[in-house]
Amino acid sequence: MNAQAMWLNPWISGLSFAESVPQWLLTACGLVLVYCLVIVPSGAVMGYLERKLSADFQARVGPNRAGPAGVLQPVADLLKLLQKQAAGDWNWREAIWLLVHTMALYSTVAVIPLGSLLLLVDTDMSAFLPFWSALVLALGTMFLGLSQGSVPGWFGGIRVAAQALAGAFPALIALLCAGIRAGGFRWSEIAAAQSSSPLLWTAAANPFQFIAFFVFVISGLVLLGIPPMDAAFSAPDIHGGVASHLSGRKLTVFRLGRFYCFLLWSVIAVVLFLGGWALPFGLSTELRNADNPRLLQVLELCWLLAKTFLLVLVVTWIAKVNPRSRVDQVTDFAWRVLSPFSLFALIGASLVAGWGAL
Amino acid sequence: MIESLKTDLTQWEIGPYDHSLPGPMLLRLRLDGELIVAGEVETGFLHRGLEKAFERQLWRSAIPYADRLDPEGAVFGELALCLAAEEIAALEVPSRAQSIRVILSELTRISAHMGYIVRVARAVGSETMVHYVLRDREKILDLFELATGARVSLNFLRFGGVQADVTEGFIERVLEICELLRIRLKEYNDLFTYNHAFIKRTRGIGTIAPEVARTFGVTGPNARASGISFDVRKEHPYSGYDFLDFEVPIGRRESQHLGDANHRFLLRLQEISTSIEILKQSAEAISPGPFALRKPEESFEVPRGEAYIRIESSRGLLGCHLVSDGGAYPARIQFRPPSLALLSVLPQLVRGIRIEDLPVVLATLDIGIAEADR
Amino acid sequence: MTGGPPMMRGSVFSTILGYLRDVLWGIRSVWGSCLTAIPYLFGSGELSKEVTEQYPDPISSKIADDLPPRSRGFLVNDIERCTGCKECERQCPVQCICVEAEPATDDTKIWVSVFDIDFSKCVFCGICAEVCQPASLKHTKNFEGAVYELPELVASFGRGWVTPEQRLKWAKLRQQIEDDRVTL
Repeated sequence: MNAQAMWLNPWISGLSFAESVPQWLLTACGLVLVYCLVIVPSGAVMGYLERKLSADFQARVGPNRAGPAGVLQPVADLLKLLQKQAAGDWNWREAIWLLVHTMALYSTVAVIPLGSLLLLVDTDMSAFLPFWSALVLALGTMFLGLSQGSVPGWFGGIRVAAQALAGAFPALIALLCAGIRAGGFRWSEIAAAQSSSPLLWTAAANPFQFIAFFVFVISGLVLLGIPPMDAAFSAPDIHGGVASHLSGRKLTVFRLGRFYCFLLWSVIAVVLFLGGWALPFGLSTELRNADNPRLLQVLELCWLLAKTFLLVLVVTWIAKVNPRSRVDQVTDFAWRVLSPFSLFALIGASLVAGWGAL
Repeated sequence: MIESLKTDLTQWEIGPYDHSLPGPMLLRLRLDGELIVAGEVETGFLHRGLEKAFERQLWRSAIPYADRLDPEGAVFGELALCLAAEEIAALEVPSRAQSIRVILSELTRISAHMGYIVRVARAVGSETMVHYVLRDREKILDLFELATGARVSLNFLRFGGVQADVTEGFIERVLEICELLRIRLKEYNDLFTYNHAFIKRTRGIGTIAPEVARTFGVTGPNARASGISFDVRKEHPYSGYDFLDFEVPIGRRESQHLGDANHRFLLRLQEISTSIEILKQSAEAISPGPFALRKPEESFEVPRGEAYIRIESSRGLLGCHLVSDGGAYPARIQFRPPSLALLSVLPQLVRGIRIEDLPVVLATLDIGIAEADR
Repeated sequence: MTGGPPMMRGSVFSTILGYLRDVLWGIRSVWGSCLTAIPYLFGSGELSKEVTEQYPDPISSKIADDLPPRSRGFLVNDIERCTGCKECERQCPVQCICVEAEPATDDTKIWVSVFDIDFSKCVFCGICAEVCQPASLKHTKNFEGAVYELPELVASFGRGWVTPEQRLKWAKLRQQIEDDRVTL
């Protein structure tokens, strides 16, 4: 429990008021700081990267007016959305959505693993918490969809629920595979089971884990409705589905939530399967021995985010080039391809782990 | 919330302005869950009174109006009008002008089919294909500007020939573009034809059976995708097509799901290939000579008579019925647009498909609301 | 999985084999599509160059001089050569040209008092330039004509209505020409 605020200690150790501040206040500040300094900028960077990357694929230029090379484009988009006239009052279903959305997503800020010292909540079930919050988020989005009195909203909401149910099962099984190799679902255990060399990453450990990695990423796309599996939010047929009636502040919250989900899932995938934050060439242990926690935190965070952005790049690439699948094809794919493969990977991973124990 | 759960059929109206529709039209759907049970089409939102506007124009000034019958295939409208007037007036078109007309027609056909690929890609959800195709289409539009001065509404054909000779370097550019497009067609195949996700989105969707195509008068690439072998360029050749050697692609009868969206898309890719062949032949065989037998500045009046002309536009059989009473203005013109048949077969096609298939069906049919409503 | 090859036998083994083949084919086709994007992202060829014309940034935007010689931009009329025959007004498909002309000192000189082209109606078809006998009406390649007020879109090339003083002068000149002819 003390780990919640421990990561702040290297930064405030010199300040005089650090002793008198109660623990809960430090924890709260820690959470807010992580949210503001890591999550929101990452969402902005991801939004910008997606536009620039798709422009690169398509021989276009992308945003280049707001700031040098368009880096202030997310700020411009945010300001534009915030100054729009509110479309109407919040009805009770939208209020439920906002509550669920906030609780489900932003509570994961406490759980997201961002470094060996930045683990805010490191319990035995830490790896499962973002997964459950994704399911709860799907429920909230379904409420939002059903709250709109129009066909796009209804169908968007129902599709979100269908995709979430279809994607949850393979995602869970793939998660189990990673945990089996690590021997537990604590972030620190999972990180300890992999280390800095790519050959020791979970995904490279054995072919079953490799399959589990792919299944995990793809079923995350299905669960969260991320392109190319974004039939629940698709534009041509249902005008954005759940988001078709949102504008202004509601749309900002919705979009931030979508970017954050994608980022969250990518971070989890990297930590579980791609070695997490372990710096290459054993730098982690060196910095730990040299007792330089601030540099360690920052470097590990940067390395983790770099790998995450690479994963995001690959997924965006596949999403932009390939057509979108129909929602029943997505759920079909999840139940008939992802689930058998994930079970196969689980059986294989258990056998390998059990063999090692013999 | 239970009391407000609806379990009967849902009514949904799409249109008249919607980005999944090919133009302004209203689609009234009755949905059972995600399945469409019934659909009604209402058109007329883009009626401009084009046929009446012809009656107020001098003969030469009517050609820009024919351009705007189908803005995506401007040359086809012009060609229909000019051929009809030339038949009434028994005007002979020199062979150089015929070659130029064939070149412009095939370039327009390729450009229209590229626009088609763009619409299908948007409906299916692949934004990248959109930009790749548009980039190549720009080269064709630049070629039009080189030859005629305008990119889309060319206003280049005249009664008895074309308005001016093609500039130097035009023929070389045409041959260059043929080579370029052949390479790019391979890329489009890689991106879509063999792509599993695309095939799943389009196979078996919106199938037009051959009997249905015959009953409703569907022509053009849609009918050929259903296996009906009918191309006006072969059946009633015009403007020198009978001297050209080309194979018209037709859907093979033994393939499964003949006439579905996938076949319609693939057929148009093959048609681009055929058009490239025709372009090469015309460009290489173009003979020096006059580009028109009359001076373009001269005023022209069509003598009394009437004619019906059929040409193969990018969407199908475009018919033009022209009546002249010998005056300075056309007496009556009536176009038979190929998209009208598609609008009448649409209610049958949307029955039984899912909502997500609707943009795919609409896009693969290549309906032109501008020519259907005139 | 829909869209795969038809089953040959109903045995479990061939079903599983067909299923695996479908999955493999799906992965391969998706990967093949992704590979087509590589030349756009990396590579030095023509494909990786951006197509966007960043108008009005002079980096990559076309100006009027870059356009082909026949491009139909805004029209200009050389009023010195114009004979006021009104053929362009007659042939224009949208009747956007308004011409008023009258003979000046003698019938060989025509004073074109009004020559207005309403570019809000013009469709840039080129028929007026085609039928202009003295070749005074021509298309330029200029395409930038955005204005803030609609009446600003009317381009006037005429010399203006004839004033009474001018009419008196012309009458005198005409009288002089008549007298010269009579005396010759």
